[in-house]
Amino acid sequence: MTLTTYQELRAKADEVWAAVEKPERTLIRVGVATCSRVVGAEETLEALRREVQARGLDADVMVTGCLGLCYAEPLVELMRADGVGVLYQRVTADKVPALVEEAIAGDGIAREMALAAVGDGGFSGLPALGSLEFMRGQVRRLMANCGVTDPGNIDHYIARGGYEGLAKALRMKPDDVVKQVEDSRLWGRGGAAFSTGLKWEFLRGARRKPKYMICNADEGDPGSFVNRNLMESDPHLLVEGMIIGGWATDADKGYIYIRDEYPLPVARMEAAVQQAREKGLLGNGILGSNFSFELEVVRGAGSYVCGDETGLLSSLEDRRGMPKIKPPFPAQAGVFAMPSNINNVESYTNVPLIMRHSVQWWAAMGSEKHKGTKMFSLSGQVQRVGILEVPLGTPTSEVVMRMGGGPPPGRRLKGIQPGGPLSGVIPASDVEIPLEPDPYRERGVLMGSGGLVILDDSNCIVDLCIYFEWFAEDESCGRCTTCFAGTRRMLEILRRISSGRGRLADLELIKLLGRIAQNANCFHGQGAPTAVMSMFRFFEDELLEHVERKRCPAKVCRGLVRYEVLHQSELLPAAEAICPTQAVVRDNGSYRIDQVKCVKCDACREQAPYAIGVVDEFGPA
Amino acid sequence: MFSQASHNSRLRPVGPVAGSTEVIARISELIADLRPDNVELLAALHRIQHEFGYVPREAVPLLAGKFETTPAIIFGTIDFYSEVRTEPPAETTVEWCSGPACLLKGSLNIRRALEAVLECQMNRTSANGRFGLRLVQCDGTCQLAPLVRHEGRYLGPLTVSEAIGWARELRREMGNGKGEMRETPAEKEVVGQMSEAGDEAKEAGE
Repeated sequence: MTLTTYQELRAKADEVWAAVEKPERTLIRVGVATCSRVVGAEETLEALRREVQARGLDADVMVTGCLGLCYAEPLVELMRADGVGVLYQRVTADKVPALVEEAIAGDGIAREMALAAVGDGGFSGLPALGSLEFMRGQVRRLMANCGVTDPGNIDHYIARGGYEGLAKALRMKPDDVVKQVEDSRLWGRGGAAFSTGLKWEFLRGARRKPKYMICNADEGDPGSFVNRNLMESDPHLLVEGMIIGGWATDADKGYIYIRDEYPLPVARMEAAVQQAREKGLLGNGILGSNFSFELEVVRGAGSYVCGDETGLLSSLEDRRGMPKIKPPFPAQAGVFAMPSNINNVESYTNVPLIMRHSVQWWAAMGSEKHKGTKMFSLSGQVQRVGILEVPLGTPTSEVVMRMGGGPPPGRRLKGIQPGGPLSGVIPASDVEIPLEPDPYRERGVLMGSGGLVILDDSNCIVDLCIYFEWFAEDESCGRCTTCFAGTRRMLEILRRISSGRGRLADLELIKLLGRIAQNANCFHGQGAPTAVMSMFRFFEDELLEHVERKRCPAKVCRGLVRYEVLHQSELLPAAEAICPTQAVVRDNGSYRIDQVKCVKCDACREQAPYAIGVVDEFGPA
Repeated sequence: MFSQASHNSRLRPVGPVAGSTEVIARISELIADLRPDNVELLAALHRIQHEFGYVPREAVPLLAGKFETTPAIIFGTIDFYSEVRTEPPAETTVEWCSGPACLLKGSLNIRRALEAVLECQMNRTSANGRFGLRLVQCDGTCQLAPLVRHEGRYLGPLTVSEAIGWARELRREMGNGKGEMRETPAEKEVVGQMSEAGDEAKEAGE
């Protein structure tokens, strides 16, 4: 193992990065991440390489991570040697020849695909990237490299200030590093919002060895995908954060536990760990110090409760990922009964920034009580699906309505589901509350790990609660009766309500189950009724409409609606053809729906929108 | 004072393993370099599933021997993780995203339609063994909601009509262009089962 100093690493990295920052010939950057791969970014990349080679153009093609503008993928950025940079959206492989023709060979701008100008100002009619509604107001610290550097190139990361925080930390006493993290008041970004510095102090105080540093990258909350973006766009930020954590707490080994649904982050984290090892940033005598640390990437196998810290520990121990009973806490007896510390991806990735800059710099962003920035992912009924980073305390409406663009035209915001299935739902009337834990907690809701799923008036709250309860029941580990049986009873009651057999007494039963669930061992069981409780609190009218009048106002609950032919139309033959169950039948020249066969899939109404309607199953049509 | 993970009774391998000798040999080869208490059981399961498409029953005693534990603990672990399968997959599998963004955009409608067209219930294989429908978790590609995945390809945002058209096309391809989709009696049967299931207890695919 050669002993390398940070300065040596940096000098070499700067050379590599210069070619990207001030390219001597056209540089083409293609964002390849999970969200862009699924819309063909790899094919775009391939097509660009082919086209550039075939035409013998003076240009380099480079892979980068995800800028967060999922709605506009695949994104391609063209930077000419004269410094003119344009970001193009929805560049599928078939559009590549046109793009190359106009923008590279022709030296112009491919207007119909151009999204924004890269750099500080706009030009020739293109808005600056930072002035797009989605980008304006963002403070990109964790995401500074996302969509900018090549996630597979450690030199890019180092040249942009990477591992400087580690180099600084290694010159400090571990106790001072812990203190600095504590002073920043960084709290766990995974949802529990517990002080990261304090957690580290617990592990530092543990005497038994070996000690483990564990990263919870089992981002299981459906609708949250911020950790995924960070790991696949800037994997070294997490590696650096964990090494600093290891130094501060005297840990020997780290595990990064990534969910099975994230193959690309697994691959990129593994590559990053390997590169860090080759550069002497992992292994024995890191950066010439006497500190040794190893990292390993572990791929999960599809289990939500492994995102609970003790569930994750069980999973690492080669068995069912069932959450354990605390105490002992992980810092006393974690994985293999040795002292361990578990943090979320975003918690670790903030640490290099705190060390590199300073506590003051880091804490300059955020609200009075909650410092720093937080990443959020927008999905559901929102016009711009994507990932963004804002200071804590930013009004929810800023993010959802302005940056995300709110629900599609003609629809009204109904509510927002932050975090995951265990977090609850806030109503549209609370959309102004700041994005930080307290205002959400006051409403019996959790801000959670960064997912924001948006509901509009076409959605039914009972239907959504059925999904949450189904999820909680399906993912229950089976230890506590209050959880595995409680969620099942809750699900039965909700399904009864959505099928028109609800009774008023059911409401009391649900509340009772909600109280009982608090006796579960882990947060999965305790949090299972949260969404249903927020339905009681904020959407009671809609719930009562289901129970008392057997009506689903959004016409979603399958047991409360039926499809009917409202009037004959020339579109009905198409409806007949599309029906998967032959439920659109013709008798004596006129069409009707066979209610026994109908599975209520809505395909016929898509074909004949005005001729076929959804009517209430009970009560006046 | 805190014992090692309580299940570790540290057993030696259980007698001769029943099953196909070829499978046993291949699995033994795949897990040869792994050892207990080193966070490697998940890796072992991934390797085996990657090779066979599922985890064959022969793996259970072999893993128990390798990880010095009981077959029950191994089977309990396999059973716990939803991405680890114990049945061979269908000829082709359609994956249906169960996430909230897809749900809010009407994924249940697509599910009902796919179940009817492919004559296959969620997390089951169709009677002819051709099609599998699998419920998968959100991976954050929500700009495509509602979506289904098929052999690595993502399809979305889908209307129900598009999903039906695509699934019928898939049936035609798999049936060598014999237009099997016209076999209405079989489709009818599935519909019957689904209405019986009524309270959507099958929603979870249990």
